[in-house]
Amino acid sequence: MPVYEYRGISVNISDNDSEYKGYFEAAAEHRLVVKKCSSCGLLRGEPGPGCPWCTSLDWEWQQVSGKGTIYSYQIVAHTVVPSFRDWAPFPIVLVELDEQSGQPDPGDGLRIIANLMDQDMQPEKEENVAIGSRVEVVFYDAEPGFSLPQFRLSGEPPTGQVWRH
Amino acid sequence: MPDKFERLDCGINPSRGINVNTSLRDKYCVVGIGETEYSRGSGRTTRAMGAMAIRNAMNDAGLGPKDVDGMLSYHGGDSTPSTAIMYDLGMRPNFYMDCSGGGSSTEALVGLAMGAIEAGMADTVAIFRSMNGYSNIRIGGTGARASAPIGGPDLMKRPYGLISAVQQFAFTFTRHMMEYGVKSEDLANIKVAHSNHASNNPKALMKQRVTVEDVLNSRWIIRPVAHLFDCCLETDNATCVIVTSAERAKDLKQKPIHIMGVQGRGTKPGGDFHYQHGPISRVAGHYVGPRVFESAGVTHDDIDVTGCYDAFTYTALLQFEDYGWCKKGEGKDYVSSGIINLGGKRPNNTSGGHLCEAYTHGMNMVIENVRQLRGMIDDYCPQAAEGIHTYDYSEGKCRQVKDANISMNMGWGTPAVGSALIMRR
Repeated sequence: MPVYEYRGISVNISDNDSEYKGYFEAAAEHRLVVKKCSSCGLLRGEPGPGCPWCTSLDWEWQQVSGKGTIYSYQIVAHTVVPSFRDWAPFPIVLVELDEQSGQPDPGDGLRIIANLMDQDMQPEKEENVAIGSRVEVVFYDAEPGFSLPQFRLSGEPPTGQVWRH
Repeated sequence: MPDKFERLDCGINPSRGINVNTSLRDKYCVVGIGETEYSRGSGRTTRAMGAMAIRNAMNDAGLGPKDVDGMLSYHGGDSTPSTAIMYDLGMRPNFYMDCSGGGSSTEALVGLAMGAIEAGMADTVAIFRSMNGYSNIRIGGTGARASAPIGGPDLMKRPYGLISAVQQFAFTFTRHMMEYGVKSEDLANIKVAHSNHASNNPKALMKQRVTVEDVLNSRWIIRPVAHLFDCCLETDNATCVIVTSAERAKDLKQKPIHIMGVQGRGTKPGGDFHYQHGPISRVAGHYVGPRVFESAGVTHDDIDVTGCYDAFTYTALLQFEDYGWCKKGEGKDYVSSGIINLGGKRPNNTSGGHLCEAYTHGMNMVIENVRQLRGMIDDYCPQAAEGIHTYDYSEGKCRQVKDANISMNMGWGTPAVGSALIMRR
């Protein structure tokens, strides 16, 4: 893939990147995908080459709904990345997708890191960031061919305990 | 002060089913320690600093360049290889390795040095870490690291502004805060304790004693888990420890400090992607702890002084819990109880640690514990050089722990990676 620029960062997804190229190719089509094990059928949140549960190296991409719940978060008050300074303070969230939540073990989930954005694709206000809040994927079209999966509040009732600092 | 906390089972409880090799217990020693000045502007290369730290450790041990025939180092692309520094010191090692790694490498490399000697690859091994962690490649991720092109796993983090170490750990910290009700004030108590210790350490970068209010009033870095004073000090420095057999140690200059047990870079399920599994607020110490206690043949209550990795206040709190110094969720009470303070039952990071002495990727905490066990802490006591201490822990005075017989280091790499080392005098 070409080298893309996003907020001052050179994004270099190599053609032989068997972990992340397919993820970003799908994102460019506004589809959120995870890897599915062709042997045991379990999904995995990190698109690695092997299945953490059955060790099979056979996999396929599987589209997911893009709906989930904020599992944890951080508010970046001071960023070391100059191109993010105009955003600070801004939220980064760890989203647990609805698919396969609590499976195969109770603490497991498909968890994806993203910014929590508002309806105008700007960083969501800090007071609206909480563990337990429901979110949905939204794609930011940075350049032709490169879209970044982000999340925004879906407005659905929260799941489980709601907590913010 | 009595320690009221209930311990988790140690490895030596047979019900845990821990099975580690204990045949090397007490057979190897730390015989030399050395460091450069801790500064923010070394004015020297990592090569020059590395040579100085190793030479200082050799002098400390009473060893010459022909006596040290093994070298180990760790780095993150920010140091100088052993093969350069061996020239500078007139050494011709029979064994060397430069390992990729950051925090928790120190303890692991002590174990690897023992393994190299046991395998007959070398007799005496110098372990060093050299970094211009303030002047050149900053550990916090600013400068060159922040502007480098990204690929691979960084693609899932860096485009979201997630780069620095505290950010890598913050999802674990925030979730722990929710689950166990930790407050910023609890974390601040760790900084306060370590700053009190640093005030008695002439080498410390930040000697000023601070209060809980000072920590809370320092600017936010990452909410809700780290103010500026919850973060360690980026530092230019090099450090060294020298390991050899207990037999060889008998003839050397210093009182040998015996390695009772060591565990290196044990991990949580999932490694770098540990947050895909639960519980996210558990750290590697949960796995490393029982093994290191089994390895050393001691329990928590045998330990007199700890070195618990404080890259951030939260790393120390989580490790106290998962190494079993208290029950899960009681870390906030443990660090606020006075136990970890000089004069308390089991002081932690008596040099001031990463928060106040210097950020060294763990080396200074091992060096400090070697000094503690020798009874040779370099504090402001008038006769410190002769090992005579006042045990007056007020500002600008003593930091020697009385009757320090056994120490424990708990190294942190990430929430998923940790090492531990138990030593005795």
